[in-house]
Amino acid sequence: MDTKNDPLVRVRDLRVSFQIDRDHTFEAVKGISFDIPRNRTVALVGESGSGKSVTSLAILGLLPPENSIIGKGSEILYGGRNLLELDPAELRKLRGADISMIFQEPMTSLNPVFTCGFQLTEVLRLHMGMTGAQARKRALALLEEVGIPDPEYKINAYPSQMSGGQQQRVMIAMAIACEPKLLIADEPTTALDVTIQKQILDLIAALQKKHQMSVLFITHDLAVVGDIADDVVVMRNGEIREQGPARAVFENPQDAYTKALLKCRPQLDRRPTRLPVIEDYMDGSAGGPQHMEERVRGALPGDPVVLEVRKLCKNFYSREGLFGTRTFEAVKDVSFKLRKGKTLGLVGESGSGKTTVGLTLMRLHEATSGEAIFEGRDILSMSPREFMPFKRRIQIIFQNPYASLNPRFTIGHILTEPMQIHGIGDDTQHRTELAFELLQKVGLPEVSFYKYPHEFSGGQRQRIAIARCLTMKPDILICDESVSALDVSVQAQVLNLLQDLQDEFGLSYIFISHDLAVVKYISDEIMVMSEGRIVEIANSDEVYRNPREPYTQRLLASIPKGWHAPTAGTEAPPA
Amino acid sequence: MSQMSQMSGAAMAQDKVGATAAVREIPHAVSPGLWALGWKRLKSDYVGMVSLAIVAAFFVLMFLSGTGLIAKDWAKEVGVNYAAPSFIGADVEAGTPAAPAEAPAATPPAAEYQSAIVDPLANVMDEIKGGKPAAGAAPPADVAKGDTGTSVDPLADVMADIKAGAKDVAPVPAELRAATLPLGGDKWGRDVLAKTIKGSETSIFVGLASALVAVFIGTLFGALSGYYGKWVDDFFNWFYSVFSSIPYLLLILAVAAVLNKRGMVTIILILGLTGWTGVFRLIRGEYMKHKAREYVQAADAIGASNARRMFVHIFPNVSHVVLVQLSILAVGFIKAEVILSFLGFGVPVDVVSWGSMLNEAQNELILGKWWQLAAAGTAMAVLVTAFSLFTDAMRDALDPKLKGKAGA
Amino acid sequence: MGAYIIRRLWQMIPTMLGVILLVFVLFNWVGGDPAYVLAGKISNQEQIDNIRRQLGVDQPWFVQLWIFIKQVVTGDFGASWSTNEKVSHILATRLGPSLTVVLPLTILDALISIALALAVAYVRGSLTDRLVMIVCTVGLSISILVYIIVFQYVFAYKLGWFPVQGWGNSFGENLFVYSSLPILILLTVSIAPSLRLYRTFVLDEINQDYVRTGRAKGLSENRIMWLHVLRNASIPIITNLMASLPGLLLGAFLIERFFSIPGIGREVILAVERSDFPVIKALTVYVAFATMASNLLADLMYKWVDPRVQLK
Repeated sequence: MDTKNDPLVRVRDLRVSFQIDRDHTFEAVKGISFDIPRNRTVALVGESGSGKSVTSLAILGLLPPENSIIGKGSEILYGGRNLLELDPAELRKLRGADISMIFQEPMTSLNPVFTCGFQLTEVLRLHMGMTGAQARKRALALLEEVGIPDPEYKINAYPSQMSGGQQQRVMIAMAIACEPKLLIADEPTTALDVTIQKQILDLIAALQKKHQMSVLFITHDLAVVGDIADDVVVMRNGEIREQGPARAVFENPQDAYTKALLKCRPQLDRRPTRLPVIEDYMDGSAGGPQHMEERVRGALPGDPVVLEVRKLCKNFYSREGLFGTRTFEAVKDVSFKLRKGKTLGLVGESGSGKTTVGLTLMRLHEATSGEAIFEGRDILSMSPREFMPFKRRIQIIFQNPYASLNPRFTIGHILTEPMQIHGIGDDTQHRTELAFELLQKVGLPEVSFYKYPHEFSGGQRQRIAIARCLTMKPDILICDESVSALDVSVQAQVLNLLQDLQDEFGLSYIFISHDLAVVKYISDEIMVMSEGRIVEIANSDEVYRNPREPYTQRLLASIPKGWHAPTAGTEAPPA
Repeated sequence: MSQMSQMSGAAMAQDKVGATAAVREIPHAVSPGLWALGWKRLKSDYVGMVSLAIVAAFFVLMFLSGTGLIAKDWAKEVGVNYAAPSFIGADVEAGTPAAPAEAPAATPPAAEYQSAIVDPLANVMDEIKGGKPAAGAAPPADVAKGDTGTSVDPLADVMADIKAGAKDVAPVPAELRAATLPLGGDKWGRDVLAKTIKGSETSIFVGLASALVAVFIGTLFGALSGYYGKWVDDFFNWFYSVFSSIPYLLLILAVAAVLNKRGMVTIILILGLTGWTGVFRLIRGEYMKHKAREYVQAADAIGASNARRMFVHIFPNVSHVVLVQLSILAVGFIKAEVILSFLGFGVPVDVVSWGSMLNEAQNELILGKWWQLAAAGTAMAVLVTAFSLFTDAMRDALDPKLKGKAGA
Repeated sequence: MGAYIIRRLWQMIPTMLGVILLVFVLFNWVGGDPAYVLAGKISNQEQIDNIRRQLGVDQPWFVQLWIFIKQVVTGDFGASWSTNEKVSHILATRLGPSLTVVLPLTILDALISIALALAVAYVRGSLTDRLVMIVCTVGLSISILVYIIVFQYVFAYKLGWFPVQGWGNSFGENLFVYSSLPILILLTVSIAPSLRLYRTFVLDEINQDYVRTGRAKGLSENRIMWLHVLRNASIPIITNLMASLPGLLLGAFLIERFFSIPGIGREVILAVERSDFPVIKALTVYVAFATMASNLLADLMYKWVDPRVQLK
């Protein structure tokens, strides 16, 4: 019987496996149970491989039928019925009407060849039996409700004519069109810029209150969870580690993994010498994480400069009209000084030009104008041959660990090739020894030398990429979103490794990222970029405490605050 | 950095001790690379392995016939004209319709026939032998004495010479021709089975050789075009659009019309020099895609030259595509060669091909002789089917991401 | 849109020149002295020189090239070497019969293949899917020659349902009586590769995210397949169809030869057999131009039909 206080959806002992090939199956979800109460937001949190997305897809029966296997005895109860055993026609009646879902990539989740209006009215005509005219009227009202400007115009627009944020709003409009009781949101903001993210999160929260619906919010970002969730469910490797009201989970976590997860993400207000990692909590070593004392960061005017960049410009050209060209100014007049042994954080949203700066300094793109002075010489104006000996002094670690290592090379080949090219090491024997050493230095076993990249995880591959850079003994390392694609726990390990290397070898870093908390943790100075220009540049503590420019202030205000108790709380107020 | 050189200095000092030792190896399990993994996947694909076996069998046939171990005498006329296949049974005489296919296998054993040609001089010969004049003939001359006499026969002199010479020559045994052959015989009594085997050699050889030429050109052009971009790309694209604007068969026919000398090399060149366009497009796309990937940028960052990036870094990631294209093109060229040979523009007349067999079969069908059509058609269908299925299986084994799309 | 068309036409010029150049090199250079070909086997030097002068091959190569370009532009290639029919007349009259076969074929092929592709994609991975694909592969592997010979023998000669060969005078007669068997044969041969290709296009679309969204909205599988997926898959299907049209015109050459249909394909074969250079040259150049034009048309259709693409 359905009483007002019964949970809306109950998941009982859900088991999901996937058939990989004839002999192997993979257990993605290993028997989990939790409730989704009415009119509350439940956050389902986990890193990659935790099974959170699989769980959400299972509720609506959207798992691929070819290779997914639902365990016997699994139940997902809604309105007294088990959704897993429902007749397909019955299930279709519920989808979009009682339970709706929005996904991570709005661009591909919308059908590119139909207008937004068509896709919106489709669900209204199907479930609510409206006529064309009625549906259109309602669609306009919905678009307005989700905050799309100019609804009369946008209703006839195609998805490709809208920005990512607007596309996601249209998805949300489609999802709430029939007043569902449950909205499932699978990482809806992960692909969006941080300022847009905040708007979408606010929108979802407002809609939840207004329509009195429940929201199941899937994410890997604990800070986001802290902002919006009433209840939290933490998953790891297909199992639930902890669940309960948000306050209990954040303020008093019981499970070791939950504790670790909460701690290993860089906070805005503290900067321990080393970031705690999962292992610090999981193997029960006495005292938990070590080296938690504050690390002081900042650059003084007298600090030695290793690289000075003056008025760097980079333009991209594309064809326009019949014979003209269009110029896109990616980087405009960027100037800064990189201090020896310190880290310069480079922050901006997508399209700000931050990645282009890094690639241009390495001469992977040719600069349009400007200088970069290294050891007294302008490295941007040298001929490629002159530049060769300097090439190894500046190296880069890319964002995507799955694409930056050649899949056909063994790790040994990847590590020894740069040595061969630059004449480091006397012979094969020597180079192999150096490679073994470096592997150990980055925390990988020597036997990795003989393996292929696909045998390693994302975090391990980034370590290999770091080792590759180290073979050439560089002075400057550019980290281009190097930890952005990694899980939080792995991110902490890699950040610690980078810091160890800087401490040991005195490397100078340019750390490019859109993640403001991580940048604050690791940087001495911070440069904020927007639309190709530098907006603000100062010591990192200064920037967070006293942002001077409006753009910086807006950026900082968009950072998810994380958990804070409703009353003046125990945590220090965010910067 | 001084610390780093200190570190390697220590390592070097250690090494000096065993400086002449070989590279130190740490015991490790061998990690499978792309090809080993692909082979493993292929082994579990039943259809793929069966088609591989069939293709391999054809290859073996090709080697055997190419080295002359079998089907060497395909051109010899060993059967009667239009000899029927053995499983059907012998014809009483050449030219009658074939017995129905349900004819019982227990036919009388093949008798041996002499050439059934009527000898117009039989009477005269008998008479000469018998020494009696034929009715109405002039009195016989004494041939042995070289006297042709008053014979009205205009060829009498010639015959006298022949007879004089024939005494010194050993009689040539008459050719015995089989009444049935395993797969039947063609118009001149040549063994269809031998022709079919020889034809497979032609087709496979031409198909593979042309495919190699086309793939080589297409890969080289595509790599240069996709990697360097800009004006190199513009040039090769222009070249590509010129060649691909002309429909393929028309180009082949036009080149065939122009190169009048017929030969194996000609047809291989024709097919190869016109068929590279698809490979070019594909490899160009692949190179463009890979060039934008981070591992190539990383190779640039560590100082690898353009050539190194193109051939050492990118090519191993593209080689499986090249191999699959080779296979696809080989299949296409086998089919094209058959059509060309059918039209008479393919292999020279002294080389047998399934195409020329089908050409002959055209006219034979009306007479009811279907075995050459069946033999060539079936052999070709089996080879091409097996090759196609194997190509699909190979592609799925090497790049499982495409699995759902290409069919099992 | 207009600027785009003009720019594309402008870009086509080097390609057209390239085709002219290629044909010229092939026939005027590699092809050997046409005077001998034309003069036949028995001739004296004076006759040969005469012919040379007539054809203009005694001029330096750039003059010959210029003559050729003029011919292309004006459409006057002179007369066929074998039949003495004006080349332009040949091309004009042969186009009709070819189209009578090829157009109905294309329409039928497209309709049947698309429907089958959708049906097969619907049951992808199942035994039916695999069987159909294997049947397609086997069907593809049998040479078109075998199909033609067998079909002609069985359906026309033995059963008498269709005429064995020939061509009529009225359009209706040509379409329904004389083209039926050829179209049937070509359909049998071309459905298999079309089906395989369209199946790939459809499967590409089925794996897209918007299909998952459609299901999440509660749409039925039928609606998703026939409306959402088909509309997306039709983009590559249509552009593929358009781009392959010129090739089809010629690809029917075997059919035309067997059935004595006076079309372009048959003309090509006859010309090649007789080394009739003017005809081959003209055909090659014009078909190449037609291919470029239909490629441009295909690109325009693509940009018109796919809202994601901007016209520049």
